[in-house]
Amino acid sequence: MKRALISHEARPQWVEVIEGGASLRLPSGERLAAANAAWLPPVEPGATVFALGLNYADHSAELGFKKQDAPLTFLKGFNTFVGHDGVSPRPKDADQMHPECELVAVIGKEARRVSQADALDYVGGYTIANDYAIREYLENFYRPNLRVKNRDATTPLGPWIVDAAEIGDPHALQMRTTVNGAEVQHGSTADMIFSIPFLVEYFSSFMTLMPGDLILTGTPHGVHFVQDGDEVVCEIEKVGRLVNHVRLEP
Amino acid sequence: MTMPFQNAEVTGTVYGIALNDKAQRDRLAATFAEPPYKAPPKAPVLYIKPRNCLRYCGAPTPVPAELSALKVAATVALLFERDLTRAVPEEVRSALAGACLALDISEPIDSFYRPAIRQMCRDGFLPLGRFASVPERFGDIVTEVDGREVHRWSLDALVRPIEAAAAEISGFMTLRAGDLLLVGVPGDAPLASVGGTITVQSAGLNALSASLVPEQGQ
Repeated sequence: MKRALISHEARPQWVEVIEGGASLRLPSGERLAAANAAWLPPVEPGATVFALGLNYADHSAELGFKKQDAPLTFLKGFNTFVGHDGVSPRPKDADQMHPECELVAVIGKEARRVSQADALDYVGGYTIANDYAIREYLENFYRPNLRVKNRDATTPLGPWIVDAAEIGDPHALQMRTTVNGAEVQHGSTADMIFSIPFLVEYFSSFMTLMPGDLILTGTPHGVHFVQDGDEVVCEIEKVGRLVNHVRLEP
Repeated sequence: MTMPFQNAEVTGTVYGIALNDKAQRDRLAATFAEPPYKAPPKAPVLYIKPRNCLRYCGAPTPVPAELSALKVAATVALLFERDLTRAVPEEVRSALAGACLALDISEPIDSFYRPAIRQMCRDGFLPLGRFASVPERFGDIVTEVDGREVHRWSLDALVRPIEAAAAEISGFMTLRAGDLLLVGVPGDAPLASVGGTITVQSAGLNALSASLVPEQGQ
């Protein structure tokens, strides 16, 4: 099953995605054409959102970093999310804004001191994030700092959450990013340095994960700076296709 | 029993401002000129305390056996009732719902280079006091461990005063209604051990009580 959060009749509603993504079934049972949906990011305010830096060897090497001992993790707030087919603002004073296609694990039940062997039982589903970074704002304090990674509406998320059972092995998925149709990132979730079971064990070894918490698992190589008006598409096999539009800040 | 995640007020994200203590910044100035920092911070240095950290009404903080002493940094937390975006300092107070005392608990760590999630984000690492209206002026923030005063400081020590800090942050991200902002922690925050009862008091705000207890079921 695929679940999406949309705005319909002036309120947020969780809907079921049916007919191969063509239609949405509302809680009332009514159907809506997916093409007419106003998509919201499938996350609730207050959820804990982890994001991984340098979690693909090729992207880490591209940025000039050595192998890490522990996962480089940062957290994100609710303000930074925007739904499928939404707009992400590009600041006027920064040219180096680049998309990062990432598989997102959605926690399905409370997790504390979970072993790697059991970890996937605690993942309820998967979605896609485009974790834009704006490199001009990087500073070497709690890097990557929030001015780079937590700007309003610069983390497209969605279009929906796919149940974990439909995905099977989350480390066998092709992923790619296109900008105006041209490929700028291509990789496989097989190439993550720290796997999703490892991450669930690691985070839950020192804190409690709650249903709805998200783990953005990092991005493969390919740094491409986006421009005003670009259409950016992040695709992950079996999960979906997340569209975003870049617009220069007014 | 207080439900650890239950709260009607903090519905959003908890942000904290690091390195906002003038004496701490002066002390670290030479360090920050060296790698990996290479330059002092320009924008406010922010961190996030996720929801598992929150504790209300004196609910205890569980401490795993491998940790002997924890840093307990008393500060003021501001709760937003309106979104604040691209604001000027004069607009900040009208966006606030209230203020409370907060105890920002962490494992001692010297580095500010990478986000210190494991050291700062354990369950119960952010006890909060009850909210009150935002006082016109803030008094000394006094921390006691087992009834003995161990630390005292004032928001006069901040590099960026609260209105200036919130306004500058709002220039690159919205502080949303329901978000909480920890305005800065003292660079010389004291340590406390398991078994300790900690209270924080400040004139015009509700006192905060917290305790460090051995984690069960390890």
